[in-house]
Amino acid sequence: MIGRSKCTAQLSNDVYIVRRRSSGHVTSLLLQLLLPSTRLKRAKMAEQSTVASDLYRHVYSFLLENNFTKVAEQFSKKAKVTPLDQNEQSLTDIFQFWVRSPGAKKRKAQTSGTPAVNGPSAKKAKKDVESSSSEDSSSEEESPGPAKTPAVTKAPAVTKKPAAAAAAEESSSDSDEDSSDSEEEEDAKAPAKKPPAKVTPAKVTPAKVTPAKVAPAKVTPAKVAPAKVTPAKVTPAKVSRKKDSSSSSEDSDSEDEGAAAGVKAAPKASAPQKKQESSSSSDSSSDSEEEEPAKKPVKAPAPAKTPPVKAKKPPVKAAAAAESSSDDSSSEEEEEAPPSKKPKPGAYSAVPPPAAVQNAPAPAGGSESESSDSSDSSEDEEEKKVAAPVKTAPAKSVTPKPAAKKAESSSDSSDSSSEEEEEPAPKVTAVAKKAPPAKAAPAKKDEDSSSSSGSESSEDEAPAKPAPAPAPKAPAAPKAPAAKPASSSSDSDGSSSSEDEAPAQKKPAPAKPKAAAAKPAAKPAAQSSSDSDSDSSDSEEEGAKEAKPAAKSATEATPAKPSPLRSPVAAARTAPATRKRRPGRWPQRPPNRVRSDSETEAKKTPAKPVVVNAKAATPAKATPAKATPAKATPAKATPAKATPAKATPAKATPAKATPAKATPAQKPEESSSDSSDSSDSETEAKKTPAKPVVANAKAAKPAKATPAKATPAKATPAKATPAKATPAKATPAKATPAKATAAKATPAKATPAQKSEESSSDSSDSSDSETEAKKTPAKPAADNSKAATPKTPAAKTPAKDAESSSSDSSSEEESQAVKTSTPAATPAPVKKTTPAPAPKATQDGSSSDSSSSEEEEAAKAEPPKAAATPTVNGTNVKRKEDKEPSSDNEEEEEEGEGEAEETPKGKKRSAGTPHTFPKAKQKAANVPFRRIRDEEVEVDPRLADNSFNAKLGSNGDWGQKAHDALRFTKGKSFRHEKTKKKRGSYRGGAISTGVNSIKFDIHCFTPPALAVVPKGGFQPGRFSAEVVDLCLSSRSPAELPLLWRCVSQCESVRQREKRGQAPRTGTPDDRRELQL
Amino acid sequence: MRPGFSPRGGGRGFRGGGRGGFGDRGGGGFGDRGGGGFGDRGGRGGFRGRGGGGGFRSPSGEGGFRGRGGSRGGFGGGRGAGGRGGFRGGRKVTVEPHRHEGVFICRGKEDALVTRNMVVGDSVYGEKRINVEEGETKIEYRAWNPFRSKLAAAILGGVDQIHIKPGSKVMYLGAASGTTVSHVSDIVGPEGLVYAVEFSHRSGRDLLNVAKKRTNIIPIIEDARHPHKYRMLVGMVDVIFADVAQPDQTRIVALNAHNFLKNGGHFVISIKANCIDSTAAPEAVFAAEVKKMSSENMKPQEQLTLEPYERDHAIVVGIYRPPPKQKK
Repeated sequence: MIGRSKCTAQLSNDVYIVRRRSSGHVTSLLLQLLLPSTRLKRAKMAEQSTVASDLYRHVYSFLLENNFTKVAEQFSKKAKVTPLDQNEQSLTDIFQFWVRSPGAKKRKAQTSGTPAVNGPSAKKAKKDVESSSSEDSSSEEESPGPAKTPAVTKAPAVTKKPAAAAAAEESSSDSDEDSSDSEEEEDAKAPAKKPPAKVTPAKVTPAKVTPAKVAPAKVTPAKVAPAKVTPAKVTPAKVSRKKDSSSSSEDSDSEDEGAAAGVKAAPKASAPQKKQESSSSSDSSSDSEEEEPAKKPVKAPAPAKTPPVKAKKPPVKAAAAAESSSDDSSSEEEEEAPPSKKPKPGAYSAVPPPAAVQNAPAPAGGSESESSDSSDSSEDEEEKKVAAPVKTAPAKSVTPKPAAKKAESSSDSSDSSSEEEEEPAPKVTAVAKKAPPAKAAPAKKDEDSSSSSGSESSEDEAPAKPAPAPAPKAPAAPKAPAAKPASSSSDSDGSSSSEDEAPAQKKPAPAKPKAAAAKPAAKPAAQSSSDSDSDSSDSEEEGAKEAKPAAKSATEATPAKPSPLRSPVAAARTAPATRKRRPGRWPQRPPNRVRSDSETEAKKTPAKPVVVNAKAATPAKATPAKATPAKATPAKATPAKATPAKATPAKATPAKATPAKATPAQKPEESSSDSSDSSDSETEAKKTPAKPVVANAKAAKPAKATPAKATPAKATPAKATPAKATPAKATPAKATPAKATAAKATPAKATPAQKSEESSSDSSDSSDSETEAKKTPAKPAADNSKAATPKTPAAKTPAKDAESSSSDSSSEEESQAVKTSTPAATPAPVKKTTPAPAPKATQDGSSSDSSSSEEEEAAKAEPPKAAATPTVNGTNVKRKEDKEPSSDNEEEEEEGEGEAEETPKGKKRSAGTPHTFPKAKQKAANVPFRRIRDEEVEVDPRLADNSFNAKLGSNGDWGQKAHDALRFTKGKSFRHEKTKKKRGSYRGGAISTGVNSIKFDIHCFTPPALAVVPKGGFQPGRFSAEVVDLCLSSRSPAELPLLWRCVSQCESVRQREKRGQAPRTGTPDDRRELQL
Repeated sequence: MRPGFSPRGGGRGFRGGGRGGFGDRGGGGFGDRGGGGFGDRGGRGGFRGRGGGGGFRSPSGEGGFRGRGGSRGGFGGGRGAGGRGGFRGGRKVTVEPHRHEGVFICRGKEDALVTRNMVVGDSVYGEKRINVEEGETKIEYRAWNPFRSKLAAAILGGVDQIHIKPGSKVMYLGAASGTTVSHVSDIVGPEGLVYAVEFSHRSGRDLLNVAKKRTNIIPIIEDARHPHKYRMLVGMVDVIFADVAQPDQTRIVALNAHNFLKNGGHFVISIKANCIDSTAAPEAVFAAEVKKMSSENMKPQEQLTLEPYERDHAIVVGIYRPPPKQKK
């Protein structure tokens, strides 16, 4: 915990700080107080706290059970937690489960490593932490992812639940993490299922969200999810709106909680944070501002647990998750561990419903919505799985949604990045295919695919496939998801850990659920991956989601997918989703809600609730508005995109959660990047998604932004070095490649973003299936810390960078997440979200942006999106953008440059520039002026010592006495002594005319022996035998000076002896000869 | 031959140059103080042994070359009446040529580096003079204090080549008050030329006074960074000696070399590390400067530390645009 918190602190992101101050403080406090608890517990708790509100309740009950009354009181005050139902699982149980889960081990390992990593780069740190936490403790990340999804229920639920339930479990099976994740997911599912009831309704929205998130989650799931989670949390905490939620979702539990909070939170006390988050989410949807708030809120939640780490992770994860969920999902899936976590989250999510209560804010609506979302997400996942096949291609692009779902699955699978990637790829393809039809579906598919891809595990894929169908819708869904994801992301963030992703997904899902409920379409779209769904119409989305494939764009997404998928998977998912949501809800939910709102206006209701809950109506409005518009346009505009959208959403969500604000920017960027990367429709989709995302909640944008960055990162990432930046870039690069692939392209893009993150991480590793890999990587990257180690590094770093750069790490993460998600799923989601956000969003601009983004999307709008995003991003976006820009700047400016990022960049620049520039300035300022840099100058060994003693013939020299007198003098005394010498009273003895200078002509390494002996042969009497021996024996240059000293001493002695006689005419010559 | 340091009239010790004291290069403190005898009046200055003044009266009797030294109470008869300077008058000393043409070593109880005084009877900065009579010709040598002159420090330190010899044309950058320039003037002799460039007017005043009595010195009070300002005064030179202690001294030398140094000419540069970069290691600074020279068609040939006479100083001798054939 401490380590994480430190890491987070290092990140120095405002978000983190905020988080820290808010929830982080609580968490740390809590941890400190919990003396009895084992470190693991602490860690877990920390994670949980970070993760989301869902866990809060558990923690709270745990505290109560253990007679930590004071602590419990404080905790309840800070976290505004409500007691846990007796029926719910105890923290211990959860912990145990987590411990058992494979992901846990990983997470531990990662976590341990993370701190250090974090140290270096905030992003990395975050990512690492997150990833580590998330990835390392796959459960965490996964959980986060799931959590998010669950929390978000919307997307998260979808992702996680899906992953958990269908994909998740499978995915878990798919990826190692997945396996664990799956378990967790299962657990989550169970819980999720409970929520499902709510979920169902929520699911619709969630479904969308989920898709988005899921895709992201899946994509990045492992990493992304984690990353997102952290980010999500972070962002959420800060402003993370949707992203927060998404991020939270990504973040997983915490995020989920946040998300839930977001969803629920909005309503409830957590409402503040959640509201913020939600607002943030809404902001994200709307603009960065909201996102920021959302993030803050999210962060706050996140902080509570593992604020810092998670926060970081969330961002990364969020971003990654989002992205990963979309693309990375595969990687995420790898991370899937996160999903597994998600599952836990899910389990928690199960709690989530209660969590919802906890989240109180939006509890009923939010929780339910979340739960529903989660369920949706789960459903989405399922759908995705179903759809996944269809979209396989899309998978990647679709992945986004799949990502969300995948996120879950991916989170699960994330662990096995390769697998995930592979799966994602298929999905992508599927998605690609489907994607076009129903982006949402693709998105979902993506997610699923991502998840599937992410987690090779067929489950993931399966989900992914189902997702595909959703994916197509996914795009819409993505957006919605994005929104939801955002929320979910926030949730995920909360869950930060792998859960985050899941949460993110879940969140999306939840969001969707809400949306579904209200605007089923939105979520459905999102979750169902009916990216388009969300886009097209939330309801459509839902239907799409469910229908994902074709329907995607159609309303189906929202309703159909959400509910269907949800219902099936949903149950499980929902649970996770709920969980996630809960955790994330605070943060995420808001986003989710917002997203959901934004996504599906229908969802709007839910979303609004969330928003209201979280931020207030505004955010919600923003989101919804944006969501709707964005989604509609984007989703419709680019079905394929939808997938991306989904991915984005997913990412967005995750990312958004934290990033939410940032995410928007990032998403835009991502989308832009994505679009730029692969100008494919995907780009458009991405753009749309991105926009959606942006619109959705800032989260969405953030997500996009992140994605964008991610993408760029990927581009560079490929470079890997950039680590963070690179990762992001790398992702882009990958994204591009992916895009290049065509169908994959979209996915790829989505993936890229996510991948970028993941890829960043992945890139370093191996871009697995490139697209997927990218996505996954991106997500992983985002999640970095969490799942995909490889990805995590790069991805995380990038993500972190992006996040950190943009707004705080959270924002970055979100952004990344967004980006990641954006790429594939995100785009769609983003778009959707964005649109929704824009409309709703307080930020008319955002809405306009989203709309514009959508338009752009239509145009391919990546740039537009970027622009849109930027606008949308507004504040939040700015942060995200900043992050993105920073990331972009740092890494490559590729994406940003290339595409929409312009705006994003612009915004980013505004926001980001500051970061970047400051850095440069600081460096410049700190570096003293130096004409000569010692380290850069090569000094001849003979000239290495300028002292008198090192000089030839120094012994017995005329200046010997002066040297003795001046040797120890310094400054004034030296001046004084030297003045005395100047008077002429100095007596130095005999003056030697020997040559003591060092010739440049002579090779410095010429062995003295060679110089001396050859010269006149051995002259007995002239040099002592010792000297000769020395000369002969000494071969090393190092001995040269000494040797020469000896020789010169001998010489001087000889000269003295000769003195008075004929001038040593020969001496100089002899010496020269010697030297020569 | 009579050992050099002949005590000057009165057998007064010729001890040190008596510039009143601490002044570094302040122009020749006593020398030409028109009137009257200082030396003997003891008492004034207190610097023991410093009395030397007595002896140096400028032949021309010009009044005041008093430079800064004036106010310093330097002259007093330091050593009381009859005190003998370091080199006891009666002591026999031998002056032998150094391997550097134009430079001599006065060997006695204590060795000293000396140059043949071009202006007999004149001490530029209070340095000791040694008179050696060979038959009818009186040869006067001036002691060259390595603590005051970096060129002397380099010679004492054992530099291989200074490339300054009788008859050569030398451009001296950073001439300051002309103390070292006076010795360079002694080395090159009447056949040679010394273009002494100094930017400081205060120092330049002393330099001008030195140049008045030494016809082979052409004082130039200009900034060495702008060789075109004195291009009309300077012809091609054989050697450039630089003691400018400026961060861009290598560039300054290069500029002047490009304008006035003949191909295959040589340069002798004194580098004060703290003037280039006081934060870097002196060795690194020297290496960096040497590297710079190489990029200016100035090929460094040798380097020598000026310890213990100067701190963190080094002298670099090189060749400018060496003819291809010269390169082996």
